[in-house]
Amino acid sequence: MRPVSLLNILTFPDPRLRTKAKPVAAVDSAIRTLVDDMLETMYDAPGIGLAANQVNVAKQVIVIDISEARDEPHVFINPRIEVSGPPVETDEGCLSVPGFYEPVTRREHVQVEALDQQGKPFSLEAEGLLSVCIQHECDHLEGKLFVDYLSNLKRARIRQKLSKSQRVRA
Amino acid sequence: MRGHLSQSDRARAARHLARIIGRGDSLDHVVRRETNPLCLEMTYGCLRHYFSLAEAVEERLARPLRAKDLDVLCLLLVGAYQLQRMRVPGHAAINETVSAVRALGKPWAAALVNAVLRKLPTRPADDASEHPPWLQGKIEALYGDQAPALLRANNQRAPMGLRINCRKIEPAAYRALLNDAGIAFDDAWLPESILLRKPQPSATLPGFRDGLVAVQDVGAQLVGGFIRERLQGGRRVLDACAAPGGKLFHLLESGLQLDLTALDNAPARLQTLTEMAKRLGHEGFATIAADACGLDWWDGEPFDCVLVDAPCSGSGTLRRHPDIKVNRTPRQVRQASQLQGALLRNLWRTVRPGCTLMYCTCSILAEENDQVVESFLEAQADARAVGVELPTGTATRHGWQMLPTEPATDGFYLARIDRQP
Repeated sequence: MRPVSLLNILTFPDPRLRTKAKPVAAVDSAIRTLVDDMLETMYDAPGIGLAANQVNVAKQVIVIDISEARDEPHVFINPRIEVSGPPVETDEGCLSVPGFYEPVTRREHVQVEALDQQGKPFSLEAEGLLSVCIQHECDHLEGKLFVDYLSNLKRARIRQKLSKSQRVRA
Repeated sequence: MRGHLSQSDRARAARHLARIIGRGDSLDHVVRRETNPLCLEMTYGCLRHYFSLAEAVEERLARPLRAKDLDVLCLLLVGAYQLQRMRVPGHAAINETVSAVRALGKPWAAALVNAVLRKLPTRPADDASEHPPWLQGKIEALYGDQAPALLRANNQRAPMGLRINCRKIEPAAYRALLNDAGIAFDDAWLPESILLRKPQPSATLPGFRDGLVAVQDVGAQLVGGFIRERLQGGRRVLDACAAPGGKLFHLLESGLQLDLTALDNAPARLQTLTEMAKRLGHEGFATIAADACGLDWWDGEPFDCVLVDAPCSGSGTLRRHPDIKVNRTPRQVRQASQLQGALLRNLWRTVRPGCTLMYCTCSILAEENDQVVESFLEAQADARAVGVELPTGTATRHGWQMLPTEPATDGFYLARIDRQP
């Protein structure tokens, strides 16, 4: 049997993914535990990014690790982003939309202001995959999924295939 | 007969759902004071069919909702449930649900609720499994050909089983009382077991207040009956995770003079157990509030029988607790199986050599059942699993598994482990 991740990752089209996350009021031990659990779930899945809404926690928390060795975790709490630069197209996938990869156009650069796991403010500039991933995860916090950028036809097809896999297979 | 469904019933159901879906509160806890049967039906139904209803609603939701408006999303589920599963006429279901936004204090949501519900098909989704992918995957991997029937069974309504208190009334006499009250029932496997044709509030059962009868799944009664048959009077018995007390009381009703100790780590739950014992007229057993993963509560005198009705995922009780499908996480299953192993290893020391430990769960997942027993047996040289046979269910490698595909019972697991003399 395929090992499963620890927290339950909600799957599109679960409407809980359509809930906007609330800012974290204080980075306390509960938030640090959430971050640890999210990292473990993301590594286990495996994925390169996870937003708290995906595990049914409506809080502005994101974890990302795009490194090959899986040893460079980034944690963003209450992130605010500003995008700039030319549009770039990347094939995106999502742990909440398992098995589908589709091209999505985003901006090349991103400037992030956020809190780290200790509650300390930091800022970061990113481009390339990290920039795409940050934009993708920040969309989650707004209740938005990458499939929202696709044509209605493509989105309907993904919805149909995923819902088929959740039928009783006689 | 179907009573009138008021707007406030709908709003209340939406609030219940928001607590369960959004905060992860348990269904039992959230509806403990809810008495309106229609509100209960909507709350249970929306959880039972959460995945297909949620999918239908999400598709028609034009933009994301704020976290604090989860009650609006839940009201949409309530509306969808009425349209697809309750045969409430479409115009009534929509109009009344739209009006219920006022009872939620969110009049701005009227247009949104109206727009979504008007676009919803009234036919329910065909053969939706209504399970989260991780749990469906586990069930399919474990049960193969049997999985479709099991998934469908999990989406049915739970039956209501009764256990006649043989200390207070003869089984035949209680059956006569049910007949007199015009309550239709079937017999189950044990003389004291009853299966109601239609569930009803327990307080309306004849003699309920006087403790003539208790509500208990008839599969759970088979577990109690199996243990009872292997006991003799005067034996020292430990029920290590005793609350809410069903199996304990069942043993007390056997007529055997047992030296029973009920252990539970939650004092509040032990309190409920004591109150229930009072209603049933049971006394003469000891209660201890302590953690069964330790031994500081133990006087060192071994037990002739130790019952470990271990905390588990509840995956065998999805009909009764459909919130498990929405809220349980794979981590909780893993944690449960770790706890189960720890309980076995610790409590084994309290079993008298030559005597028995009975291990049971209300789970259908091997990782909480046979696999827990298997790792225990591998590490414990003086432990041996002895086959269990019950009138329904199937033998597993080390024990016995009941499944809700036999509609009378929940999914229970039982293993008997003997300690070598």
